[in-house]
Amino acid sequence: MSVSISRRRFLGLTAVAGIAAALGLPLLKKEASSAEERPKARYALIIDTTKCTGCGACIEACRLRNKLPEGVSYIRRIVKGNASNPWFLMVQCQHCANPPCATVCPTRATYRREDGVVLIDERLCVGCRYCMQACPYQARIFDEKRGVADKCWLCLPWVLGGGLPACVEACVPGARIFGRADDPQSEVAQLIASGRAKPLHPEFGTEPSILFYILQEE
Amino acid sequence: MQTAWGWLPAIYLFLGGLGAGALLIAAVFEFYGKRYQYEFCPTTLVGATVPGPLLILGTILLILDLGAGRREPWRIFYMYTNFSSVMTWGVWLLSLFIPVALIYGFLEILDTFPAARPWLKSRRWLRWTAFLWNLPLRRTKRVFAGVGSVLAVGVATYTGILLSVVGPAIPFWSTRVLPFIPIPMMPVLFLVSALSTGLGLTVDLAATLAIGPMEQRVKSLPWIHMAFIGLETLLLGMLLITALLDGGSAAQSAREIIVGTYAVVFWVFIVLPGFIFPFVIHAYAAGLGRHSPVSGVGSGMGIVISGLFLRYLILISGIPAAL
Repeated sequence: MSVSISRRRFLGLTAVAGIAAALGLPLLKKEASSAEERPKARYALIIDTTKCTGCGACIEACRLRNKLPEGVSYIRRIVKGNASNPWFLMVQCQHCANPPCATVCPTRATYRREDGVVLIDERLCVGCRYCMQACPYQARIFDEKRGVADKCWLCLPWVLGGGLPACVEACVPGARIFGRADDPQSEVAQLIASGRAKPLHPEFGTEPSILFYILQEE
Repeated sequence: MQTAWGWLPAIYLFLGGLGAGALLIAAVFEFYGKRYQYEFCPTTLVGATVPGPLLILGTILLILDLGAGRREPWRIFYMYTNFSSVMTWGVWLLSLFIPVALIYGFLEILDTFPAARPWLKSRRWLRWTAFLWNLPLRRTKRVFAGVGSVLAVGVATYTGILLSVVGPAIPFWSTRVLPFIPIPMMPVLFLVSALSTGLGLTVDLAATLAIGPMEQRVKSLPWIHMAFIGLETLLLGMLLITALLDGGSAAQSAREIIVGTYAVVFWVFIVLPGFIFPFVIHAYAAGLGRHSPVSGVGSGMGIVISGLFLRYLILISGIPAAL
């Protein structure tokens, strides 16, 4: 067999590798662009920031239900507006239809269920934290004890049993509205259909499918 | 700043680039005949033998940085499965690059030190390597140098792609080459930096330490170095300017680098040792036509250290998009 490589061939091969890497980039984006194929989410959770007082009851309720350590929660409070007129943006996993965390997860530990809920299979997670980098909502935390990524799971067992997510149950001013998005008569479906409740930062291209916000006018 | 990735991933990104760059320099010397110009070529020897161990060290650091994957190492095998993840590409590239680089290094040692062959034959426990030393040495070596180069370009580039695809989350990492050119800068910058640190390690450091007057052998060396420093300056400048023009978090990252929190890392640990210092040394050598051993080693060390801090700076200066 002939195994010698000429210098031209060498340059050609390295060029091919570079081009292959460059071609791989648009491929990555393409994979996640077929919005019609994705099943619609069954649930919706709308946060009305005009009612939210920023009390943090949701943060604490989430922590208690999910047995998270002191000071850790799946919900984060961001103060918006100005000093004289602040308002609060509560951020947790948006359960995107095009979740970048799932795209970058090397082990496929993060996945989206048919009903729209994005979950982490802890048995697969290696704890590389790439998903934490990729989430534009910074909705993920790291469970140091178990060495895996963690985030809001919409209190799925409670919801499947007909109950509510802890944050909705605990919300004092009633700023969190939870319901069936697949029932056009429901309050959440109507708020979304009317355009009052919108996804947070749609320009990220992640297509949040469960969390929606009624945003404060600025 | 992002806090999920710190020094360990930064050192890994650096070692990946250094190993890939060193192997590419060795392959260039191999294919362009520089390797055979003199009896002993320290550049090719180091460029061929060092990448394998460097990448093994880098992989160990990566595994140490994992959470559950460190305690239950079999989970690492799951990382081969998601081809839409750039990290999966990286795991594959590493798995292919490391054995190829190790074999290339082994063959280069056999070629450089003929005495190694009888020694290997005399060791019963090394007999299994016979399939390698019985092949036509230089031809086989060239195959591994060629395949290794292709994989090396992949290793050096994917580390940049890894960062650039988290686009909306950390805008600075996906900064384009120029505002109107839709090519991410990080893969380009990391590839050029890989070559530059590879050159610093295999030529400035290895050749100066082994034979002293390396500039006698490669007359154009100072010019090649100055060209690389010029190119890197251009790329870094384009990165910072494009990020500033992008506004938002990307501009904030750029400002923190130029005059803010990370200015010391940038100016003192990157620009000074990796750009100004080696440029002055090589400009001086270009005029004088020669290096002193101190200036050669100094420039090599400066370039390599600056490459490490560059990876660290890019990682820590990633500021998440504002919500």
